[in-house]
This record gives sequence, C-alpha cells and structure tokens, in this order.
Amino acid sequence: MKPLSDQNHYEILETHPGATRDEIERAYRLALSTYTDDSLAGYSVFAEGDAAAVRERIEAAYRVLSDSRSRGEYDAKLAAEREEDLPAAEPSAPLVPADPAKSEGLPMGEFVQLDDGTGDFDGERLRHFRIRGGMEIEDIARVTKISPTYLRFIEEERFADLPDSVYVRGFVTAYANCVGLDGKEVAASYMKRYDKGRGERRKPRFFDSR
Amino acid sequence: MLRLEPRIAGAQVDIGMGERLNKLSAKFRNGSGDANRARLIPVGGGKGGVGKSFIVANLAASLARMGHRIIAVDADLEGANLHTCMGISKPRASLADFVAQREEDLGKLILDTPIPNLQLIAATDGNLGTPQPSQSRRVRLMRELRELDAEFVFLDLGAGTHAAVMDYFMVGDDGVIVITPEPTSVENAYGFIRAAFYRRLRLAMASHDMRKVVTIAMDQRNERGIRTPLELLREIQLLDAAEGGRFVETMGAFRPRLIINDVRSADDIKLGFSIQSVCRKFFGIQAEYLGYVNHDESARRSVRAMRPLIDVYPRSDASIYISRIARKLLGDGAGGQLREGSV
Repeated sequence: MKPLSDQNHYEILETHPGATRDEIERAYRLALSTYTDDSLAGYSVFAEGDAAAVRERIEAAYRVLSDSRSRGEYDAKLAAEREEDLPAAEPSAPLVPADPAKSEGLPMGEFVQLDDGTGDFDGERLRHFRIRGGMEIEDIARVTKISPTYLRFIEEERFADLPDSVYVRGFVTAYANCVGLDGKEVAASYMKRYDKGRGERRKPRFFDSR
Repeated sequence: MLRLEPRIAGAQVDIGMGERLNKLSAKFRNGSGDANRARLIPVGGGKGGVGKSFIVANLAASLARMGHRIIAVDADLEGANLHTCMGISKPRASLADFVAQREEDLGKLILDTPIPNLQLIAATDGNLGTPQPSQSRRVRLMRELRELDAEFVFLDLGAGTHAAVMDYFMVGDDGVIVITPEPTSVENAYGFIRAAFYRRLRLAMASHDMRKVVTIAMDQRNERGIRTPLELLREIQLLDAAEGGRFVETMGAFRPRLIINDVRSADDIKLGFSIQSVCRKFFGIQAEYLGYVNHDESARRSVRAMRPLIDVYPRSDASIYISRIARKLLGDGAGGQLREGSV
C-alpha cells in the first residue's frame, strides 16, 4: 500500500528480506519484464514516464541486493531505521516553527487575545498567523502536501481560482492545524466567506488576471 | 475551474440503498467462516469471451467431482450460456423468473445437471427490455444466494462493469477475475478491478463529502487528475484522516483473485504475476494470482459437446490446471496464491 517512493529495495522487487540469491534474480527478471514501456500488464495503466521510473528503482534495488556485501550493508541500514522509527511516536508531526513556544500550537483563547479582532477567519488572518509562526508558504505545503499555489489562493481569498468546496474545506483545515489553530473552527468560518465569494463570482471571467 | 456538481448528479442516488448493500456484503464477507453458509464465489472479468462461463462450469464440476455440493448460478441475464456449458440445452426455470418476481423462492429455480453434486440456476429467457433486477431486488437476490443449500455457490457474471455486475462481485467472499493474455482483456480487467474497488470504497466512506470525492475519482477523466486508487488515497488522507483510515482498511480487505485463461507460453503465465505487481505498485491493491489454464484444443471440443471439460476430458492439460485451482479454492486462507517460482 506504500507509494513507490516509500518502498524499500525488497518491496520494489516484490521479494522478502530472506530471499535467496536465486529468488532475487528471478524477482528482478520478472520486475523488468513487467515494467517495459509496452508491457502487456502495464501499458494501459502507465502514464508517460511511469515505467521508466519504476525500472530505475528496480535497477537500483538489484544493484544493491545482487551483491552480498552491499546487501549486508543495506540490511543493516534497514534494521537501524526500524530501530529509529520505534520511539518516534509522532506519525505526522507538524512542522516545528522557529519559536519553540509556538510549537505546541496556541490554544484558541490565546490566539484571540493576540489577534487584533474577532470576526471571520479570513485569508489575511491565516497569513498573519502563519507569519507569526515563522513559516513560509512552502513550509506549510511540505507538511500538508497542498500545493503552494492553492495555499496562496487561500490567503488571497481568490475563491474563484480555488477548487470545489469539498477540497477547500480540507485544505483550510490542514492549513489551520499546521499553524496551530483549531482546523474545524477556522474552516467553518472561512468556508462561509468562500461560499459567499463564490456565489458572487459565478459569472465566468475570461480575462481573469493571475 | 473545477465544476464538479453536474458530473456526480446521478451518483448520489443509490447511496441509501448502497449502504444497505454494503452492510449486507460486509456481513456476508465476515460470515464466511460460518460452516452452514455457502461460500459465494463471483467470477467476472470485464471483457466478454475470456472464458468466464467455461471457468465457472469447470471449477464447479471439478469441486463436484471431489464430492462437494455446488450450485453454479448464471448471473449474466443478458448473455446467458452457463447452462450450455453444463449440458442443459433448455432450462425449464431461470433467474429471470426471480427478477420478474414470478418466483420468490430462489431454491425452486435450481436445476439438476448430468453431474452429481452439481446444480445450476440458469439465466435464460430474460426480459429483453429490463433484464437487470432493480436494486432492491438485487439486495434480495444476494441474500437468497447466501441461503442456498450448497458448500460453494459460483456466480457467473456478465461482461462490463454495470452496477449489477459490480454488486454481485462485491458481495462474494473471493471475487475471481478471468483474464486472457491479450491487451483488450487486460485493460478491461484493470477497469473491472478499479470499478469494484471504488464502488466498495464509496460505500465504506462515512461522510457524504468523501463519497463525493470517490465519485469524482470514478470519472476517469476527472479534473483532479486522480488516476489510481493510491492517488485517491493520498487525496482523501489529506482531506480527512479518519476517512483515510477507512480507506486503508477497505483497500486491505479487497483482494481480487486472478485466473489467466488460454495460456500458450511462459510469458503468458508470468502475466498473472505482472498484473499482481502493477495492482500493488500503482493501485495499492493486493491481488492474488490463483492460477492459469493453458490453451487446450480439447476445451473447444468440450464446449461443442456442451459438457464441462473436466467431465469429458478429465485427463487433458486444461482439466489438470483447473483442478489445481479448484483445490486452491478449497484450501483457501492457507496461502492460496501462486508464488513466483512455483510455475
């Protein structure tokens, strides 16, 4: 279930750490034949470049696993990584902002005091809070996996350029959580503005400036 | 700009009924350990002519010969021919009677076949205007199928990915997909796997919003550019962590099984492993390669003779491979899938 980028060499070759040399060899040959550009099993699934990307990983995996010395080193590295993974209990630890005091995420009450007013959570307030946390748009993008362009649109309230509300709600929630706000509360407030803004801008704009 | 609303207009209609279906299919799947209940094995594949009926007739006949009580059900109301593969030229009763509500008791539609332990529910004489049962009728049908008095109930599905076909596939314990080593079949098989998975997934999502996202992804030209279940998973994890968890759970439980039919070369045999690999790497779906059946002239002769191959030519190559798959179905749960190197 892991995406390709997270798979280790054994997973790439679809074999197991106890595999014999012979098994590695067979797995490699099978993998190569599966991921040719015109492979019967894959051509209807692969987009351009997909097969080549997998082949590259297959070759890299085989280079390491076919040599007993490099395989030994790799196994040791995998074992060490597993050890490291154990105490790290935070699965999707939010990005730690520059100021450690803020790394906990500020409770809502405190934020309201810091902020100059109550009212809606608009794009400007989100931006304000991001900057207070010492974060760039790209930092939030890295943590939330939301494209920086959309994050900017959220801050600039370019509602017409944002996708369907199902997505925007998720984006705003993730953004808010990332800067230490209550995602649900922020999203509820922001989405009211979004819905209103979208309602007013239903007419298509052909020369919408970017 | 994204304008998603119109595309999904029709898709929300069946959610209420879908939930019932889902509960039913979950119950069935969980209840597969119940010794009194038939194991339901739907056999599909997307493309027509890949040998679904041939495989069903022969797996059923093979298990029957081993002494198991089998009912094979033709669920292909628009292209019924399982009866022919099993030596019955004019069935006197048909599933169509149940669909048209002329008969409420599915058990009364069971026909004996020339093979001991093997019975059939045919699908001839369907209503040409509305061959498929309504959804409420489908729910009823699936419940009745489970109640049939047999150890195994095979369901021979029609071609395509019609909602009815997908429902039958989903309700079974171990959906089998028959593929032949040709691009058209492989392509349709992926379409079938995706359709089945998305359908199951949409029913597993608790929130209306996430169902909507799944529905958007089901449109293969969706504007979000979601091509594969793995990409959809990333999308949903981002939007809602709890639903992401349900997604992973559904993905783990979905294990389509593959049979490659009409195999002529070692490369054809390997195709099963390759499809398994592509499913895993690109869809995140764990398919199981159940086995292959080689190309065999006697297979064609058996169809001409309107009898299962297993019955006419039990010593033919194809018969031997089919029996191998049948034994795997029996010993299931204990590593039923083929391992590379065992071929």
